Parts: sequence; structure tokens; C-alpha cells
Amino acid sequence: MGGIVRSYSEGDPVAPLVKELTQEAINLFEGSAGHPGPSQFTDEEAARETLGTSGTVASGRMSISFALEMMRRHFGSSVFNHTGTVDLRFLRPVRPGDTITFTGEVTGTSREANGQKVNVKIEARNQRGDTTAVGAGSAIVPNAYLAAEE
Amino acid sequence: MVEVDNRVPLDWDALEVGEVFEKFEYVLTQQMIDEYRRGVMDPDAAFPTISHKVDVRQFNARYSDNGSVNARCAFHCYNSPVPGKRLTVTAWVADKYLRRGKNYIVTEAVSVDEDGRLIDRVITHELKQPWEVGKKWEE
Repeated sequence: MGGIVRSYSEGDPVAPLVKELTQEAINLFEGSAGHPGPSQFTDEEAARETLGTSGTVASGRMSISFALEMMRRHFGSSVFNHTGTVDLRFLRPVRPGDTITFTGEVTGTSREANGQKVNVKIEARNQRGDTTAVGAGSAIVPNAYLAAEE
Repeated sequence: MVEVDNRVPLDWDALEVGEVFEKFEYVLTQQMIDEYRRGVMDPDAAFPTISHKVDVRQFNARYSDNGSVNARCAFHCYNSPVPGKRLTVTAWVADKYLRRGKNYIVTEAVSVDEDGRLIDRVITHELKQPWEVGKKWEE
């Protein structure tokens, strides 16, 4: 596991993650689970019928996937893929052609039975500056990765 | 042959929090993982299970309604799934609530693989009047 490598403090920024959404990406996401459509995600007519929108939208679960990636890059897969969480509220639709930027900031830490829990606030904005999702995430970092307490 | 729809029309008032759905099983293939990773543009994405929407799949198999919009979703990572392994999903109605005159249903699901490894947990809040949101989005 190596030496002491990590410390987390309130206010620490998480490196932003930028994603450009395309209809092809949405179709791959939906198709990967055997849901090629037509649905509000893949087909304009279905979107019009179900949502009354003029075009398709991306599943909120794609935003969850992007937030998971941002958090995994910050904490490392050996930590985040075993203890990570993401919880987002979806405020506006993400559509094909949108560029979404995810940002995060550490809001605090707490001691847990299996390490230090690091809490992060998460926000996603589109290219117009509108917030598309807000929420939080966390990871429990094993004590072995942290500085010994004095 | 005509398919028969055996689903029950959703009655939000009658829906019971705690209702557990029939278990759902599937094998996560390498092809599913590859397509998911291309879709989210992340070659290291570890939880393709999220695209399978397993928390609402059994709900939608049991109830018919006018569709929904995902209002909130939480995802908990435990162990990334291994390609080729069979996953078993247990899903249930975790909550329901009325907010600003709109009906929400919260479903929750836990996935475990054939070796007993806990994979993930997903909790979704679905708004059951999708056209209300769509109308607002178009303004």
C-alpha cells in the first residue's frame, strides 16, 4: 500500500470533468443494457409523447456515471470502487449537443469504522451555465492511506 | 402472436412502501461493458450496471403508468462487476411522497453476483407526471 499519500480538507477542489453529449453516446448507453429504444432517450417521437419535449434527453443515470468518474479519478479506483457514493438531483435536462462540466469540492471529513469518510459537493452545468444537477458524493479512505494522527 | 400485458395500472395511493419485486437475474457480458464505456466515454468505468436501471425494471414489469422522469438518483459502489458473472437483483419500493402536487416513487435495488459479492446499490426517485416536467423544460 506504500507510504502516506493522501490528505483531505474542507474546501479542497476536485478536478472538473467535461463531457460532450451526443445522441450516439446516449444510444450506446441505453443499448448497453438491451434498451435500444425507441424511448424518450433515443427517439424524438417517443420524447414528444412521454415528455412533451421537442427532442431527446439523456438519462439522469448518464450524469451519475460522469459523477462517478470524477469521484473515482479523485479518490482512485482502489478506494472509490469499493466505498464510493454519488447522489444527484436532476434540475434540468441534458440533451444531445450539450457540454456538461462536473465540479466538486470537499465539504468535510468524518471518522468511520473503516477509515475517513470524505464528503464532496457536486454540481453539473451545461455550456450555457445552467445547473443541470446538484448533489453530493463520498468515499471512505482507509487509514492506511492517511497520515498518522498525532 | 399478440403479447398480453399483465401489468397492473399504477395506483399511487395504494402502492405499498416495502413491496419487494420478483428477483431479476442477468449476465453482464463484456460487450455490455464495452458499449457502456463507449457511451459514457470512460474506458475505466467500473459500474455498467447503472445503465440496466435494475431498480425500476421490476417496478415497470409489475405496473403500467404514463412514464416517469428521474428526479434524483443515488449510487453506492461496493465491488465492480466481473464480466460473464450472473447478477441477481433485489428491488423494492423504498418510499413514496407527494411534493408540489406531484407524485414521486422511490425504488431501491441491490445487486449481488453469483459468488456472493455485493456489487452496488441504487436508489431512484421517479416523478410520475413526466409531461409536467417536459412542459417546464420547453419554456
